[in-house]
Amino acid sequence: MSGNGIVTGRAKGRVTLRIRSIEPYTSEFTAGQIGVIADIAEQYGSGAAHVTPRQTIEVPHIGIDELPVIERLLAGHGLSAGSTGQYLRNVAACSMWCLYNVSPMRGAAQKLNSLLSEKTLPGKTNISLSGCDFSCVRSRTSDIGVIARALIVKTEKPCKQCSLCVKEPLGCQADAITLTREGVHIDRRKCVRCGFCSGICRPGTIAVKAREFDIFVGGNGGVKPREALLHCTVPSEEDALELIGKILDRYSSLAEKGERIGDLIERAGMGWLED
Amino acid sequence: MAEGNEKFELEMPKVGIIKGVLARDIEIVGDKSVSLRTSARPYRNVYTAAQLRTIKSVVEKYGSGKVHLTARHNLEIPEIGQKNVDRALRELYSAGLFPGGAGTSVRNIFTCPDWCSKGIRPVQEIGGMISKNFGDLDMPNKVTISFAGCSNGCSRPHNCDIGIIAVGKTAVSADRCPDGCAACLGVCRFEAIEKIDGMVALNGNCADCCKCAEACPHGRLTVGVTGFRVFIGGKEGSTVRFGVKYADFADDFEILEIVDRVLNHYRENARLRDGSSRKKERLAEVIDRLGIESFLP
Repeated sequence: MSGNGIVTGRAKGRVTLRIRSIEPYTSEFTAGQIGVIADIAEQYGSGAAHVTPRQTIEVPHIGIDELPVIERLLAGHGLSAGSTGQYLRNVAACSMWCLYNVSPMRGAAQKLNSLLSEKTLPGKTNISLSGCDFSCVRSRTSDIGVIARALIVKTEKPCKQCSLCVKEPLGCQADAITLTREGVHIDRRKCVRCGFCSGICRPGTIAVKAREFDIFVGGNGGVKPREALLHCTVPSEEDALELIGKILDRYSSLAEKGERIGDLIERAGMGWLED
Repeated sequence: MAEGNEKFELEMPKVGIIKGVLARDIEIVGDKSVSLRTSARPYRNVYTAAQLRTIKSVVEKYGSGKVHLTARHNLEIPEIGQKNVDRALRELYSAGLFPGGAGTSVRNIFTCPDWCSKGIRPVQEIGGMISKNFGDLDMPNKVTISFAGCSNGCSRPHNCDIGIIAVGKTAVSADRCPDGCAACLGVCRFEAIEKIDGMVALNGNCADCCKCAEACPHGRLTVGVTGFRVFIGGKEGSTVRFGVKYADFADDFEILEIVDRVLNHYRENARLRDGSSRKKERLAEVIDRLGIESFLP
């Protein structure tokens, strides 16, 4: 068993196991998986579990000798220990059912996790995929962040003055929509391209014209927090995944050990990201 | 069961239920469904095995079989039909799980776990105290409070409205260090350690992170007195802001005072955002407008 997924604890001979979900979903746990983690915590750990900010569950106080048994148990339920060390950390994606999200990111997270999960990189690398501008999974302070955008348009269909798009609790969060007797007016400068209004507009006056994905690079938290920089905008999810693969390849070949993407950008500029 | 037929009195749909209509499904499903965001109260930063089992059974009975982990130590149970919300809540309550962490309130307090070997002092207990006193309080806009046990800041204290990081003074022993050992020099990220004639000394660059004490294999450097550094006004989301330093070396009691003072001052001074009819300012915007000095006692 590799060191991946094991965090040293304070007690001797005991470790904390960081568990992530692999199948059937990567950013969600099924009820059965939660049950398995409860069993592990009770049987092998101290009966407690901690939820980390990157969608993994940590079970502390596990005896080192028990690890092979637990590993088999995890594998049987689509779980795995992981998301520690100089690897690609667990790819975080926001929830599928959130009413703000314009493009479900779980599929992309799943692809990235299965393609790259054991990839060894120069430094720790967080990838976060957000379905909307609010970026609850912190795309703007991750090494690579993706934010889905919706370009909305006003269609020919007449507005029925239901005012859902401007009222609490579901209305525009950025105050970009004003409702007059003539219909809705969208202020392009205020619009954060979240696309939420198109979801609640029943007559279809506001519709999504296209989706696009903003790629952010070089953010990190920790001792010296850094905000990610907007690298580019790509028109589809496939393009985003391809670009992420490319960025990771170049990063592995250019960076020194321990250097994160943000450090590399600080040292070498953004040039290495371009073609 | 007579007990089960009683009306379950709860002051709900305000906190904990994420404004819950799945917009795209209204017409298709016809049944409104909500996501329940739950966390253990009193907040202790852990879910017990029994609580996880309760979540499992609620998810299986009323939900869609899935659980989402949020970035603030909550578990989110999606797609609960509104008819079942009361029943689901009752089951969660009986296991010590409460809805929370949504809306314009003090969100779930995030502390890192005490069992992490990197933490220079435990923070779970003080996190629980803050949660007991200020958790789920109504606020003009959302307020996030995070505790970090070391400067790695896994709980993202720099991006929280109130971020509290444990810091410590490194105590240097008077003994000579063994020749050739440079463990502390390697980990220091602030170039704060100087080694002269086999003796280590800390200079003014020291950021009190105590990483050197953790790395020292010979016990020459140890964690001395600890305290908390407080950053306020950070945020994350559509715009990223890192918090500004508010207090440098506060003790446990001062932390309670500081949180109380900042929240009160924020509540009194927050007003509607420019050009907005209903959204109030977040802490960062109040700091921008009034200056950090106005938050000082």
